Amino acid sequence: MVIERRFCWALAALLLLSVSALLIAVTVGSVTLSAAELWAVLQGGGDPLHRTLLLDLRAPRAGAAFATGALLALSGALMQVLLRNPLADPYVLGLSGGAAVGALSAMLLGFGAAMISGSAFIGALCSALLVFGLAQGAGSWSPARLLLTGVVVAAGWGALISFLLSVGPAERLPGMLYWLMGDLSYARSPWPAAMLLVAVMVLALPAGRSLNVLARGPLQAASLGVPVVWLERGVYVLASLLTAVAVTTAGSVGFVGLIVPHMLRLVLGNDQRVILPASALAGGSLLTLADTFSRVLIAPEQLPVGVITALIGVPTFLWLLYRSR
Amino acid sequence: MTNQKEQRDAVRQRLLRCMAMAALLTGATIAQAQPRCVIDDTEQELCLAAPAQRIVSLSPGATELLFDAGAGAQIVGTVSFSDYPEAAQDIPRIGSYNRIDLESLLALRPDLIIAWHSGNPRGQVERLQRMGLPVYYTEPRSFAQIASTLLRLGRLAGREETAETAAAALERDVAALAERYAEAEPVRVFYQIWDEPLMTINDTHFISEAIRLCGGVNIFGTLPRLTPTLDPETVLEADPQAIIAGGMGEAEQAWALGWRRYDALQAVQQGHLFFVPPSLLQRPTVRLLSGTRALCTHLQAVRDGD
Repeated sequence: MVIERRFCWALAALLLLSVSALLIAVTVGSVTLSAAELWAVLQGGGDPLHRTLLLDLRAPRAGAAFATGALLALSGALMQVLLRNPLADPYVLGLSGGAAVGALSAMLLGFGAAMISGSAFIGALCSALLVFGLAQGAGSWSPARLLLTGVVVAAGWGALISFLLSVGPAERLPGMLYWLMGDLSYARSPWPAAMLLVAVMVLALPAGRSLNVLARGPLQAASLGVPVVWLERGVYVLASLLTAVAVTTAGSVGFVGLIVPHMLRLVLGNDQRVILPASALAGGSLLTLADTFSRVLIAPEQLPVGVITALIGVPTFLWLLYRSR
Repeated sequence: MTNQKEQRDAVRQRLLRCMAMAALLTGATIAQAQPRCVIDDTEQELCLAAPAQRIVSLSPGATELLFDAGAGAQIVGTVSFSDYPEAAQDIPRIGSYNRIDLESLLALRPDLIIAWHSGNPRGQVERLQRMGLPVYYTEPRSFAQIASTLLRLGRLAGREETAETAAAALERDVAALAERYAEAEPVRVFYQIWDEPLMTINDTHFISEAIRLCGGVNIFGTLPRLTPTLDPETVLEADPQAIIAGGMGEAEQAWALGWRRYDALQAVQQGHLFFVPPSLLQRPTVRLLSGTRALCTHLQAVRDGD
């Protein structure tokens, strides 16, 4: 089975969209730079201030936005296959809750940015391990069981988050709330997220056909010789890792992981070999563009990126859904 | 040939001019060689080679303090809600205190940043520090610290004289208030900083210091948290002699008057529900003094039984 030509075109178009999104993110900001000034900086010269704006502020942030969006969309696509549930997103199993409890605790204790990221990552991994261990339980591993365990663990994290917010000193609350909404102004280096993205792509793409079979149901997959248990566990581990790194980079940015894979399925059909790379490109572009808007829309005031992802994503998704038969 | 010579001459002239300029600059640097150093509220030492001329203030309170220290004209950027004094309203904005637009901040080319330690996003300010910008963290929690902040900001901005006068005046007025109410009969006070959830302050807060200065006693002063959340029952049980509330706006008395529904409170029976504009009592700036004076007048009214 060869990948159809229209899929190649779709991926090429998404690649073009990604490159344009990154370019827009680097060229647009609350300080307006002329084309000549931009060109000077790109050639390694230019005004030191412009160099700082482009190379130290915009480029790392654009990279972090793209990588985070890509990780979340990819993770969402994997979760939807694993749980065979359209409402599944990267956070449905409580990962973001665990990360949030880690990050908010670090903020309460007054730690710096590096420690906040570190404890968010540890929180996410703890949550993933907890859900994985509990879903194994005494019985067999099934998506329904995994989903229920995850949702209940997420509810537990939710209670802890409310507790932390209510005991937190008033002056720390805005920072904590922005973390919960997802905020790329905290993003540090884009490299861990970008490297993980490439690594997971290399691992997940060859498994595309098996994932296609798995999406139809575990029995069919088993009868076709797919090692269902191992595949499901592998998908769970990969999706958890993706989400943990995404949340560590930019807080719990919502919506991208749920909506982007669905949007692409409406347009491209449900072939994981296409949906997985397409999700990464589209998710990255969506978050990069949304973050650019959130920086400049009411500049110098800054909006949380989640506001814009929803403003762009909701109408697009509803339109696609309405059109589809 | 001539053309080449002309060019060479022009180059030589330019070189000479550059050297002269460099000599001038070095001279200027030597003249101001003693760096101005201060210790900020996070115990970090900050040294500037010359008085800061392009200051960015990251909180409304710091903007007020800079104006009081005589450095108002040197502020090139600040955050939203920097509404006092009036001149502050014309300063360009670089976002809000909890979300700073780093691009517009850098575009102002500041030579000093006054950050608010507990209010500004830590990561963003640390990033500015990593870029080599001098950052002074402010976190005044008492009249003494407000006065010393004035002195330190004055030193950084090269406005020592104005700052010393302002700090001395503040200390003198605070001492006068303290003396006036030193022997006054204690009044048991409940101060409400927020409604829904009902919140007050403990004795480590500067509002509690203001209450103490007026001879008042904060009934929840010994609670462990800086801004404890309470339920109305606790207040009913403690039955304060006076209830003082801020509000959402500068003239909104709804929070104070809301206590009228509890007839059992002696503060309600005797009409001792007071409002003090929050910007006068809830910002650690020089205006805290006028807020404290208003507070003292209210507490005196309670003693006199008006």
